[in-house]
Amino acid sequence: MVGLIVNRLLQLVLLLFGISFLVFMSMHLAPGDPATIIGGPTATESDLAAIRAELGLNDPVLIQYFDYIRGVVQGDLGYSFQNNQSVSEAIAIRFPQTLNLAIASMVVAILIGVPAGIISAIKQNSWFDVSSTTIALAGISIPNFWLGAMLILIFSVQLQWLPVGGLNAPFWTMEGMKQLILPAITLGTASAAMIARMSRSAMLEVIRADYIRTAKAKGVKRNAVVWIHALRNAMIPVITVIGLNFGFLLGGTIITEQVFAINGVGRLMIDAIAARDFPVVQGTVLLVATLFVVVNLLVDIIYAFIDPRISYD
Amino acid sequence: MKKYRLLGISLFVLILVALAGCSSESSGNSNSGGNDSNAPQELTYATTSDAVGLSPIDTNDSVSSAVIEQIYETLFIRDPNTMEIKPHLAESYENPDDRTWVIKLKEDITFHDGTPFNAEAVKYTFEQFMDEERAAPRASLLEPVESIEVKDEYTVVIKTKEPYGPLLAALSHTNASIVSPKADKAGDLNQNPVGTGPFVFEEWVQGDHVSLKKNEDYWKGAPELESVTMKVVPEYSTAVSMLQTGEVQFIDAIPSAQLPRIKSMKNVEVQKKEGTPVYYLGFNMNKEPFNDINFRKAVSYAIDREAYVKQLNGLGVKNNSIIGPKVFGYDEAASEEGYSYDPEKAKQLIEEHGFEGQEITLLAANRESYMKMAEIVQAQLTEAGFKVSIETMEWGTFLDTTAEGNFEMTFLGWSNSTADGSELLYPNLHSDNIGSSNRMAYDNPEFDKLVDASRVTVDQEVRKQKLHEANIMAINDAVWIPMHHGIVTAAYDKSVKGLELDPTGQWSLYNVSRE
Repeated sequence: MVGLIVNRLLQLVLLLFGISFLVFMSMHLAPGDPATIIGGPTATESDLAAIRAELGLNDPVLIQYFDYIRGVVQGDLGYSFQNNQSVSEAIAIRFPQTLNLAIASMVVAILIGVPAGIISAIKQNSWFDVSSTTIALAGISIPNFWLGAMLILIFSVQLQWLPVGGLNAPFWTMEGMKQLILPAITLGTASAAMIARMSRSAMLEVIRADYIRTAKAKGVKRNAVVWIHALRNAMIPVITVIGLNFGFLLGGTIITEQVFAINGVGRLMIDAIAARDFPVVQGTVLLVATLFVVVNLLVDIIYAFIDPRISYD
Repeated sequence: MKKYRLLGISLFVLILVALAGCSSESSGNSNSGGNDSNAPQELTYATTSDAVGLSPIDTNDSVSSAVIEQIYETLFIRDPNTMEIKPHLAESYENPDDRTWVIKLKEDITFHDGTPFNAEAVKYTFEQFMDEERAAPRASLLEPVESIEVKDEYTVVIKTKEPYGPLLAALSHTNASIVSPKADKAGDLNQNPVGTGPFVFEEWVQGDHVSLKKNEDYWKGAPELESVTMKVVPEYSTAVSMLQTGEVQFIDAIPSAQLPRIKSMKNVEVQKKEGTPVYYLGFNMNKEPFNDINFRKAVSYAIDREAYVKQLNGLGVKNNSIIGPKVFGYDEAASEEGYSYDPEKAKQLIEEHGFEGQEITLLAANRESYMKMAEIVQAQLTEAGFKVSIETMEWGTFLDTTAEGNFEMTFLGWSNSTADGSELLYPNLHSDNIGSSNRMAYDNPEFDKLVDASRVTVDQEVRKQKLHEANIMAINDAVWIPMHHGIVTAAYDKSVKGLELDPTGQWSLYNVSRE
């Protein structure tokens, strides 16, 4: 197990080097100059030259990259071109909101997805199965921005039950919970649908297995068969999906953050891309990549706990 | 299994109902329309993007300006009703000769950090503004300035390289606000702004909000509002919902598509005012046939601007003049110039010069308003017999592409934040600025001469005349076809009183209160 973790972390370092290089190069090669954006349409050539010099954009790209990497290795992610704020600080301000939202969405997704999938499997072809499969398909297909806007119109504007936007109160307070509900449902719906589908098919496979038949034949109660014997074995592919989804949620909260006015990492990244704020883009991409790898590592570790057949030693 | 299903559903409903019970008290009062005379003197404004920084010297975007307006002040301001320039932090000024401006300052004003406002502060601010190393994005505003001298504690003397007519307009620009020298030397004004304005900076959580509180010692008397929050709400429709529920009380720059929804809201007032911004279709003068006056005339005749303006829901005015009605240098005669919609004349020109089937690519930045313009113009030009396609780009790429001249025809706007015609014609159409802000690469020595004349004289009547002549020349050269002149807008909760929009779209919260 320790070997696995060390191995993965080493891979992570290599991966981050690769990603940072690709992102750095693609940002510099892409059209759009940070100086023209800072200067705006009114800037004259001399204004722009002065801004470029100040940002250090006149050095060759490779030199800029090595300067950047030297900083990163020492824990310095650089400073925003736009407002000179340290990138680590910019991320530190926003990450809690994104994490908060991603976890809440995951909770929503699991609470809805896993039971729906299991019940569908046990009652295959019942009305519940048919409707939940249909809803799952809809859940995957509905775009986030539309769902978010509709939830706001219904629950905030019409019923006035929940606030329209913002996420600044801690989640354990009533205010914080109220702020979280709509964004979490918006973001969690697609994951819930995927988890439901995966739970259903995994469960269907397991219930047909010989050992389940044996258990039933021995007279084990139906509930015990489902919740003790079948569920644990059906969970492996479900956890894979949950892990992958969680990774996506951490990096893919952009639209939900946008609709609900949440000050998260996704919006930081999008704004930085639009403003060609290279250091901030780099910092946020590295963060998301790291999280993705770490979440997947955690999933691998959880496998070993759930399924005794899996061992990393 | 039924009980699990029911459990799930009932849990969800339970949570919603429980929360609903608690929410009624918090959101109920803000929505009532505000008859309560003890309304809290607090205001939340929603903006679709965050400020870049809070230093007037180091920023150049409209959101930063909106915050800066409340914290800092300029030497001169433009009266939003008469559009005349008046002293503000300045007391008076005189011109002993046409290159010298002796500006007397108001006394007994202090910055929020206690630093006295005086000639030294003005000199310091402007020298920082012009400092090449500091690379102020709007440094070109003061580019004609040669020196700034302190004559005495409250008198500053500005000398320009050449006579410079628009100087007062430049000094009334938000970016020319006076900053506390002590605060600037001590730290980063972008993060810790210190000015003389009616509101004092309190906190900036980047990407989320800026909060301000009232300046108890403001020299014109403290404002009514105790506190102001400027909240970032990236989705305009979310901001509108927040206005409806009372989570925010004030939004501005309403997109025309949102106007009907906002108008239908009972608790909301909409303010509209003819403004200074101009939006236009421009031709790349380095490419054929776009540099052919007959081609541009044919295009101009083929575009029905009346029809285009109609779909703006009242948020635009049609006028052939490039210098808009609210901008210094406008003369009504200009609205008669140019080439208004006339499909017959268009057809004639197209036939005469063989433009039939000419391929045109319209470049549009991927912002809703520009895309809309592109679609309408595409339809109208296709009708006239051109083959038109649209290319859209993200804003950053667009700015680069147009500056490099890689386009045929494109749409852009100019906010005219100094409301002075020289500040419109010089950067955008003078040959000095080809390769940067003169994106169409318009090069007309006659026109240049008129614009130069409007800049180098300090006699405002002469300036106006020169600007008018230059305006007529550019209109008839059809290098820009003005699509519409902007209407500036704000929507606010009915409890908000005293808000007045400036034709530039800016506003001050000094006179605002809640009832």
